Amino acid sequence: MNAQELKVRFAGHVFDKIDLEVESDSLVGFAKACGETQPKFTDPSHPDFQAVPNYPTRIHGTRGLPKDFPVEMHRCFDAGKSVEIHAAVRPGDKIQGRSEIADIYEKTGRSGKMLFIVHRMNFYNQQDTHLATVDWRLVQREFD
Amino acid sequence: MILDLHTHSIASDDGRAKVENYCQWIQRKSLPLDGFVLTEHRQFDDVSDYRLLEDQFGLLILKASEVETEYGHVLVYGVNDDLRAALDFARIDNRLATVLEESKRCGAVAVPCHPGRPKVGMCAHWEILGPVEGVHTVETLNGGSREGENEQALQYAERYGWNRIGGSDSHIVSHIGRYATRFEDKLENIDDLVAALESGRFDAIQPQAI
Repeated sequence: MNAQELKVRFAGHVFDKIDLEVESDSLVGFAKACGETQPKFTDPSHPDFQAVPNYPTRIHGTRGLPKDFPVEMHRCFDAGKSVEIHAAVRPGDKIQGRSEIADIYEKTGRSGKMLFIVHRMNFYNQQDTHLATVDWRLVQREFD
Repeated sequence: MILDLHTHSIASDDGRAKVENYCQWIQRKSLPLDGFVLTEHRQFDDVSDYRLLEDQFGLLILKASEVETEYGHVLVYGVNDDLRAALDFARIDNRLATVLEESKRCGAVAVPCHPGRPKVGMCAHWEILGPVEGVHTVETLNGGSREGENEQALQYAERYGWNRIGGSDSHIVSHIGRYATRFEDKLENIDDLVAALESGRFDAIQPQAI
């Protein structure tokens, strides 16, 4: 199955959801692990205390790929994440992450042919406010 | 006039540079570039408008594409609706002969890039699959090349009498201008660039070495 066929079959619909409540300790711990020093990210008593922008990248769903997705995970590696922030994540937020396949495409490089799968998680809070979009790229490369 | 003919912005899936940041970098580092061409992977960006940045920074910013063929990657300058109808830019299995022929038919110019690179450069495939009619220019200076790759590209260019361009193949801001192309004529738009590439009045250079 080529990239276009995979895209038609798997992209564009939510295949996984997770729910969690954001805790202050988690926000502080992640911010400090990132080397952040601004009080609004590290001090829960700050009036504008919120998650560092890349906080949603630490949240994973229950599945990396849709059921029956024909990819050999042992031939894959992480090709990076990008995050687009729409609104601040705050302590006490009850957030839901919804996973979908946003894109599947092929490209060629020094190592040969590669298949890229873009796993997108959109995050919403209890008011269904769109908080963030995280794109996680997974690449399967061709072996000689 | 000196242009970096091979750059990628965040419009490419592996690009990490914003076009405005390229402009700022060129200005801050006083790079001897008069402009650059965005050659996004497997697509043509017909939406972005960089005229304000051109005016602000005094640079020429043109748009082209880098497509993929069985002979490796190919830069296409002068992309228009006819060419986009003739080729599927997103495919990785375009035929080089078709890219060359259709580019010529549609008034564009196709230039195999980093031809000395394994897998995605033309030279290795040239030996295995055989010569292809219609190649007249190749990228002999590519900023992403490893040792030996640009040298092989130059050997092929000299052997077959091909014209030579240079480009940084930058994906991050600080790589722009590593290599470029010096034109004898003044260029103001993509039509001028296509005409210049057809004329052969240019050469690949390393800008800082001027």
